[in-house]
Amino acid sequence: MVIGSKTMAFVEEEALLGQDSEEENSELSDDELQEAFAAGLLKPGMNVLVDKPKKLVNNVEGLKQCLADFRKDLPWVERLDLTNLPAANIISQAEEKASAPAAGELDADDDFQREMFFYRQAQATILEAMPLLNRHSIATKRPEDYFAEMAKSDQHMQKIRKKLISKQMIMERSEKAKKLREQRKFGKKVQIEVIQKRQQEKKAMMSAVKKYQKGMTDKLEFLEGDQKMNKESSQGSKKAVNKKGPSAKRKYKDQKFGFGGKKSGKKWNTKESYNDVSGFRAKIAHGKGGKKGKGGKQNKRPGKSVRKKMKNRS
Amino acid sequence: LCLCFIVVEKGSPSSKNQKCKGKERGPPGKWTNKERVLIFSSRGINFRTRHLMQDLRTMMPHAKADTKMDRKDKLFVINEVCEIKNCNKCLYFEAKKKQDLYMWISNSPHGPSAKFLVQNIHTLAELKLTGNCLKGSRPLLSFDPKFDKEPHYALLKELFIQTFSTPRYHPKSQPFVDHVFTFTIADNRIWFRNYQIIEEDGSLVEIGPRFVLNLMKIFQGSFGGPTLYENPDFRSPNMHRREMRLAAAAKVREKQMVKEMQKGKKTSAKEDLESDVTADVFLTPAEEKPADIQTEAPEPKVVKKKQKAFKRQRMQMARR
Repeated sequence: MVIGSKTMAFVEEEALLGQDSEEENSELSDDELQEAFAAGLLKPGMNVLVDKPKKLVNNVEGLKQCLADFRKDLPWVERLDLTNLPAANIISQAEEKASAPAAGELDADDDFQREMFFYRQAQATILEAMPLLNRHSIATKRPEDYFAEMAKSDQHMQKIRKKLISKQMIMERSEKAKKLREQRKFGKKVQIEVIQKRQQEKKAMMSAVKKYQKGMTDKLEFLEGDQKMNKESSQGSKKAVNKKGPSAKRKYKDQKFGFGGKKSGKKWNTKESYNDVSGFRAKIAHGKGGKKGKGGKQNKRPGKSVRKKMKNRS
Repeated sequence: LCLCFIVVEKGSPSSKNQKCKGKERGPPGKWTNKERVLIFSSRGINFRTRHLMQDLRTMMPHAKADTKMDRKDKLFVINEVCEIKNCNKCLYFEAKKKQDLYMWISNSPHGPSAKFLVQNIHTLAELKLTGNCLKGSRPLLSFDPKFDKEPHYALLKELFIQTFSTPRYHPKSQPFVDHVFTFTIADNRIWFRNYQIIEEDGSLVEIGPRFVLNLMKIFQGSFGGPTLYENPDFRSPNMHRREMRLAAAAKVREKQMVKEMQKGKKTSAKEDLESDVTADVFLTPAEEKPADIQTEAPEPKVVKKKQKAFKRQRMQMARR
């Protein structure tokens, strides 16, 4: 036990920690403390027990000696061992990424990098070992007719193969499903466009027919017009139609009733709207406006009696 | 030795062709390097450890098995077991608390021994390890250059080489070299991998098993003797678990403390702000007015309401 000392007033230097008390197994009874104080080992004040920093064994000499004794100098053929750095990383070179463990630390937490490091180390070993093995005439490839027991049984390898195949199938299926989903979305878009186009055509047709019925136009071109229209307007009016987009009425209704956006506060006055008198029509406010000014219907239909008179006259 | 072999070849339909190929291995050399490794374990191991041991025995044809040893026996008993079995190396797996696995590797009669903590075990039977090799073929051993830099790693390297390399012309071995063991040092641990050599240009597939060794101590004797090296970075699994638990507990305690402090702040009586000394600087007391005491109630005020026209009418009038 090492007794360090810290007084209340000031802290002693760590030099005092070096004072090993001789009684290693002392239980620090009162008598012993008194003796130590008398001997000058303890100072007055708070004395704190401090653990000696753990010294770890690293007997370099012993290790080297042991290795020298233990080592068996076998020819390389018996041991088949090689020490090498991993082979050059082709992938990272191609991407021109400065690989962090160029010479330094291998990050054990980055799984992929770590496993690639091990893989490349094994590769480098093989590349170095092949010529050596050939020199010692040790084969690495077994001949075609050499049948022998393998470390993993046939059954097991079949299981592995099945698993790999099933994985591949799953991936393929998921790819197919994705593609199908994309197609369906696209197909839906196309369908909507076609329907809308048909509706527009129908509307145009109906309005043309009505106009003819009412006598506004006496041309029957709208019947054949479809064919002409199809050729000309398919390129021309498509652009025009798309420019107009939804009508003003539609826009207003969207704004008022459509989804999205905060509408509850829209009818409240703001500072600007309160001070804004641009919508003020004096004549209408003072009751002088009359009905739409004087321009409602130029051709007002005469009443029944007047019509009768006209009829009787002519 | 005339052994009948079963056909196994990866990628081909399993045709069971039984041919006896016992001695047709080329000129039989003499088996001189008499290495024998004893691989066994203590009681209380779990399935993964058991499979790992079996896999190592499969990979190393110069290995022998033995029954489980009681953990109550002292470790130097193992030396006697090795002598009985005529083995000069030993791999002993010790399981503690059914959670932690320790591995002893030692050179039996006199040599050095080392104790490791084994982690991240994956056995041969895992379906993700797809490689395969001949049973009993000799491995290439591949070491990280870091093994040569420190004396303790150098000693471990020698130990690994002698233990894991299959002696040439061993009766149970195959003369081909078709797999490679790699030992790499990363994060102060030794990582072990086993790859199958597919092509001679270096394409590999992992066979397994794989594990990570965390060095604890190196002893001069076999399962005993003076300690030659102690790993300063090693933290025992118990300490590790304890630290995790303490960290979690500390977090909870901290949160509680913060909560309590906040509560205390809310409920503590807020101190009155002291009167500002400078507040009186601008005080200019007015002159005292004589107190006017009214004896009679004041008359009620008559408020005439202005007849104001409405705004619109006002504007009209203004315009006119």
